[in-house]
Amino acid sequence: MSDSTGQESLDVNVRQTAAEMATGDRTDTLLQTDDLVKTFGGFTATDEVDFSVEEGELRCLIGPNGAGKSTLLKLITGTLSPTDGSIFYDGHDITEMEPNARVDRGISMKFQVPSVYGDLSVRENARLPIQQFADGEERRRRVQEAIDAAGLTGSEDVDASTLSHGQQQQLEISMAASLEPDLLLLDEPVAGLSVDERAEIADRITTLNEEAGIAFVVIEHDTEFVGEIADRVTVLHKGDIFREGSIEEVESDPAVKRIYLGSDEDSDGDSR
Amino acid sequence: MMQALSQARYGIGAVVVVGVLFAVGALTTPNLTFRISYAVSFVVLAAIGLAIIFGIMGVINLAHGEFILVGAYATTLAVTKVGLPLPVAMVAGALVTAVFGLVVERVIISGYVPNWIGQRTVGRDLITPFYDRLADSMVATFGLSLIMVQGARIVFGNSIDQIGVPFGSTAGYPDYRIALVGITAGVLALVYVLFTQTLFGTRVRATMQDEQTAKALGIDTERTYMYTFAIGSGLAGFTGALFAPLLSMQPSIGDQFLVEAFVAVVVGGASVVVGTSLSGLLLGPIDALFSDEFGEFAGRIALLITAMLALRFLPGGITGLIDRVRAMREGGS
Amino acid sequence: MATESSAPAGGTSPTPIARLRNRLEGPNTIGNSRPFWIGFALVLAALVAFPILGAGTGNQFSLFLVLGLLGLSLSLVWGYTGILSFGQTVFFGVGAYTFGVVSINFPSPGGITGAIAAGTLAGAVLAALLGYFMFYGGVRDVYVTIITLVSTLVMLTFMAQTAGSEWTIGEAALGGFNGMPGMPLLTLGAEGVFTFQFVFNEYEVLVPFLGTRVFDPFYYLALALLVAAYLGLRVLVNMDFGRVLVAIREDEDRTMMFGYDVKRAKLVSFTLGGGLAGFSGVLYAARNVYIDPSVFELYFATLPVVWVSVGGRKSLLGAVSATIAVEYLRLSIGGEFALVAVGALLLLSILVLPGGVVPWTASRGIPWVRTDGIPWIRKRVRGDASSEVTES
Repeated sequence: MSDSTGQESLDVNVRQTAAEMATGDRTDTLLQTDDLVKTFGGFTATDEVDFSVEEGELRCLIGPNGAGKSTLLKLITGTLSPTDGSIFYDGHDITEMEPNARVDRGISMKFQVPSVYGDLSVRENARLPIQQFADGEERRRRVQEAIDAAGLTGSEDVDASTLSHGQQQQLEISMAASLEPDLLLLDEPVAGLSVDERAEIADRITTLNEEAGIAFVVIEHDTEFVGEIADRVTVLHKGDIFREGSIEEVESDPAVKRIYLGSDEDSDGDSR
Repeated sequence: MMQALSQARYGIGAVVVVGVLFAVGALTTPNLTFRISYAVSFVVLAAIGLAIIFGIMGVINLAHGEFILVGAYATTLAVTKVGLPLPVAMVAGALVTAVFGLVVERVIISGYVPNWIGQRTVGRDLITPFYDRLADSMVATFGLSLIMVQGARIVFGNSIDQIGVPFGSTAGYPDYRIALVGITAGVLALVYVLFTQTLFGTRVRATMQDEQTAKALGIDTERTYMYTFAIGSGLAGFTGALFAPLLSMQPSIGDQFLVEAFVAVVVGGASVVVGTSLSGLLLGPIDALFSDEFGEFAGRIALLITAMLALRFLPGGITGLIDRVRAMREGGS
Repeated sequence: MATESSAPAGGTSPTPIARLRNRLEGPNTIGNSRPFWIGFALVLAALVAFPILGAGTGNQFSLFLVLGLLGLSLSLVWGYTGILSFGQTVFFGVGAYTFGVVSINFPSPGGITGAIAAGTLAGAVLAALLGYFMFYGGVRDVYVTIITLVSTLVMLTFMAQTAGSEWTIGEAALGGFNGMPGMPLLTLGAEGVFTFQFVFNEYEVLVPFLGTRVFDPFYYLALALLVAAYLGLRVLVNMDFGRVLVAIREDEDRTMMFGYDVKRAKLVSFTLGGGLAGFSGVLYAARNVYIDPSVFELYFATLPVVWVSVGGRKSLLGAVSATIAVEYLRLSIGGEFALVAVGALLLLSILVLPGGVVPWTASRGIPWVRTDGIPWIRKRVRGDASSEVTES
């Protein structure tokens, strides 16, 4: 259960910084990839992708398994280096930039596999990203806010490994959000969660997006979840963008249904 | 058959090239050729047992040198005390080491015996297996090697009598050492056949690729690991047996082999046959040439520095390099 | 709130003791309670008194104290940062040799002080170079360990063949396996004003009730330095930087994704470890007034791994106490069986108690050690906060 006061005050901090960083109207392009390619040996995971995200946009990335969604996210964060092409963020070319430098610039990510620091307590987990830019009383406050926003008030000294899956996801989102990013990448945030937990996370994401202006790219398979949160949807197939549009447009497109059933066509409907 | 041959075309080509080089060298500069070939054989024979265990089980056995010691001592004692003819004694040496390896695997590496005891006494496993625990296996097997070296020293003293070198010499170079080159090729061929043409080999490669799937297909992966370790140990023992006539029998001979083996495996990468042989072909000449020019120490250092450079610039070793080259050539389609 | 501060909440400024304890205590070290520090003080007092009260002069024991610094260096690098280094003895040996070379060439007290600094710096610089080569070259996990192992072998092979007379730096002959002769005795201070010789300078002291006792100043120097290093490292690992190191140990990639420059952090930790190991080597050479390449031997390279594995690598206290205990045992057993014992100890500790003895005893709730200090052995608490962690 999210503590709404905690969540609000966390998001006030984030919102203020995001507002300071915004340079104009909300339709500025935040992220742009240019002919981005990634191959592993003979296999092409990312095939000349031009992917863009606007400031404050809530984008969902969907597609059949093996489409290259996680790969694209890892290219954006810098965990993987592209074979070819470039990535622009906030007007700067970040293609050669180290992951931690990209985080400093405002990109933040939550991995597919929940990876809180299991042997550390909830408080120590929450403290780790925050200790870089806050000291003393402010640090304590922000750590507590992050914990509260994740709905873990009262469990501060518990080992993170004993948290439920859903609680770990919430903690991770808190930790990623506490970096005050402009772009937050979430790889399958609700996989394996109950309906209630999914609703909570959907709520969290939309609040962070609306009130703090954080742009999101969310990989998810649950179409209902996607429908709840997305501004726009990008469909990835065999490493390239197959369709892009609103959730209604994409859902009603028969070609999209076909690729999920295993058809080999490319975005023009021709067989590859 | 034809398909297998065409897939192996690079390998066959490489073997032909090496064979031709050796023949040409033997006729033109025999002494240098034999010295380099001996160095290559030394590295390959030292490494092959370790490579099998590392490549397949993800265990780094720092007691590998001492396994070679077991083979060498067993062979020597079989000749001097039991009076077996040398070839039989060598086989005996290899077998003794294989059995010893089996025991080590059951007790330490997989923890099967302690866990069996644990289940029957306190109701739980006592030990986690060492598979894919590279750093832990290094540390634990180093402990084992200390025990083995000192054990050998305590039981057998500081040295035991050496057995004589068989055969004569050609062009001033001992025939036995030349024969080793052929034996090395034979061992590599044997290992290759074992892992590609037998059912056991297929099981091993399946387990190596994906243990869960292999288990689901009914492969007893524990058993596979056990036999693999025994085979790796047996090969180490065979190496010890082969070199028994050439070295003075002291408990410290393991060290000589360990460094070369270790470096060769690390540079070679995960592929047992290809990685080890190419690694041997690279490191043998480097060792021989530096040793000749600058002395034994220089040869050692050259090897070690090659290893460090390979670790830094060739992740995955030579095997990784070949994989990348092959992928680039095929990916271009 | 145990991890945040031991100061009283709400307004009153903490006492100096509380402030000091704040720095020294935290989730990354064992012993965050008053009973611990009382125990610590008692043990320290015993160590101070033992050479005077006991039969020995503390002469032999000072070796263990010096090696304790080496053990601490590996605990920092392996236990806290997750880098298993078989190369600490390289920095140890280089520090020792550098001290030898500089002090032989400049045998005055000032020169000797410079030699100490040079030796420590040599260890740090070499670690920085090797660390840069590895971490900034993208070498990871076990391959880092292998490279450190290989570098130990390189040093051994190289130093073993420096016996010839051409291997001389200034007045100092490296000496190969014969070792480096002619080191000056460790004398510190200011020339002409006050100097004090620490080595081979036993004082006879008339102790009330016990008669004449011999007291070895080097022992007290080593003890003071070891305690300083231990406390210093306690502060470091409980600082923000220490928490980053622990995070790197737990999950390097994740930590990078929080914006931390992981390569740099590892390099800093590795360099500090190298400097500490080098400093240990300096004291080793100063104590023995001699150094030879046996410090580069593979056996010696694994000893720190043994100490730290047995004692608990993630615990500074474990590392130090195990170093002293294992070395004491090793030298007591002596001879051939010592190696067997060490090998067996190493094997057993990895098999049975991979976490080490000291953390294991702490987790068993030994009353003087509060368990809520160490994350990885903290008693598992269920998801609700109502079950309190037991107070000691």
